[in-house]
Amino acid sequence: MSDAVALAVEDLVAGYRGAPVLDGVSILVRPGTITAVLGANGAGKTTLLRTITGLVRPRQGRVLVDGVNLARRPPEAVARAGVAHVPEGQGVIAELTVEENLRLGGLLRSSRAARSAALAECYQRFGVLAERRRRPAGTLSGGERQILVIARALMAAPRVLLLDEPSLGLAPRIVAQVMELVRQLRDEASLTVLLVEQNARSALSIADRGVVLNLGKVVAESGAAELLTDVGLRRHYLGF
Amino acid sequence: MQEFLEFTLGGLAVGMIYAAIALSLVLIWRGTRILNYSQGGMAMFTTYVALIVINHTGNYWEGFAVALASGLVLGAVLERAVIRPIENKPPLNAVIVTIGILVFLEGLAGIIYGGQFRSFPPAFSIVGLTIGSTALGISRDDLFTAAAVLAASLLLALLFRYTSVGLRLRATAFNANVARLLGVRIGRVLTLGWALAGLIGALAGVLVTPSTFLYPNSMDSIFVLGFTAAVIGGLESPLGAVVGGLILGVVLSYAGGYLGSDLVPIFGLGALMLVLMIRPSGLFSTTAVRRV
Repeated sequence: MSDAVALAVEDLVAGYRGAPVLDGVSILVRPGTITAVLGANGAGKTTLLRTITGLVRPRQGRVLVDGVNLARRPPEAVARAGVAHVPEGQGVIAELTVEENLRLGGLLRSSRAARSAALAECYQRFGVLAERRRRPAGTLSGGERQILVIARALMAAPRVLLLDEPSLGLAPRIVAQVMELVRQLRDEASLTVLLVEQNARSALSIADRGVVLNLGKVVAESGAAELLTDVGLRRHYLGF
Repeated sequence: MQEFLEFTLGGLAVGMIYAAIALSLVLIWRGTRILNYSQGGMAMFTTYVALIVINHTGNYWEGFAVALASGLVLGAVLERAVIRPIENKPPLNAVIVTIGILVFLEGLAGIIYGGQFRSFPPAFSIVGLTIGSTALGISRDDLFTAAAVLAASLLLALLFRYTSVGLRLRATAFNANVARLLGVRIGRVLTLGWALAGLIGALAGVLVTPSTFLYPNSMDSIFVLGFTAAVIGGLESPLGAVVGGLILGVVLSYAGGYLGSDLVPIFGLGALMLVLMIRPSGLFSTTAVRRV
């Protein structure tokens, strides 16, 4: 693995009002890897992703994507810089069809040809979406929606994919499928992923590295395998 | 039977105007959740612009085109300059600001053009059409009005459905935050929504004013009925706006024709109350129709 960095979060401080939710968080994400961000409810995991994408303005710190600082830029600018954020609770646009959701994701591609190529590739990989392309996205099942939002994010060929709690509300069997999909995308398409999960066990099963947040601070950071075997850490912060 | 035909066709013709105003309100509501109380005032103002161009050049169509273009620009400028600072603020701010725009535009029109009633030329003859000896209750100009509003609605529908700009507009209307995360520059999208609304409103202004005279308050009552049409249609749906306009036009035409024209405003209010009591979210509030 080289020294290249796809995404660097440096000393990020952010919060909605009063005490900071993120209290000086620094994380490095290497290209083509999955980094899991773990921690209990309220640890600041979702706020971390929302701050990276500009939905929350940081009070301090930098967000570097390929060396360019994106902190304090609006979400649309961060997306245009190559950061795709799949928000918690999924975020399909229920009123649009499956295909319209996908096309929306592909609008950042430069040419019409690139957009249709991306759509064709997407349908090839995700047969279930091709079957349902004309249906309103709101009619899909929870698992299908999770696949749709990930596929939609991929339509823009992002440099970094931010995934917020993809297991939320899904049956264990579907969670395993979604995790397997993310692993495949890393292995086959060298996708870079920052994965926020409450379900630490399933996140670490596919991650290269893990970062544990507690009360807005990074309390542990190491390879995924070591985190899985660190019994004290697991008991204390991850609850399994 | 003869009367029924006249009232029905006449009502549909007027309903097209309400439909256009309703459509412009829906365009802004969908994108920004703002009810634009200045829509009528904007249409009045662009109609003055049209009248000046027509008087200057002697060509109706030049005035028509300039009115639409100035509606487009006026909508965009107002959104950028006045509405942008109050987006994401409490809804009451938007109510007060758009009413403020209305008062400003009506005052400005009075200062520039004076308060007297001016006649505004129609595009085509306003002599009633007949088939044999049967009067139809509509004129060539009414047919043009209907064709123009239908064409504008159709073009909007095509824009929404088949272009990437339309996809951005709809995505922003349904879920602005998700749209932003996908790189949609929603600031531009909202400006475009206001510009399109300004254009459709300007169209309504030049189409209705031949039958009402032009003065600073000339669009007020038409705005109220256009608003009613938009609510009947559910405020969300462009198709609902058009259908709501036509229903309202016909109902008011029957009320005025059979019962007396004094009753028209009461029936307008009655129609609004009836719809709000039976279907508070409007006739076209289902998601299936919202996709249009």
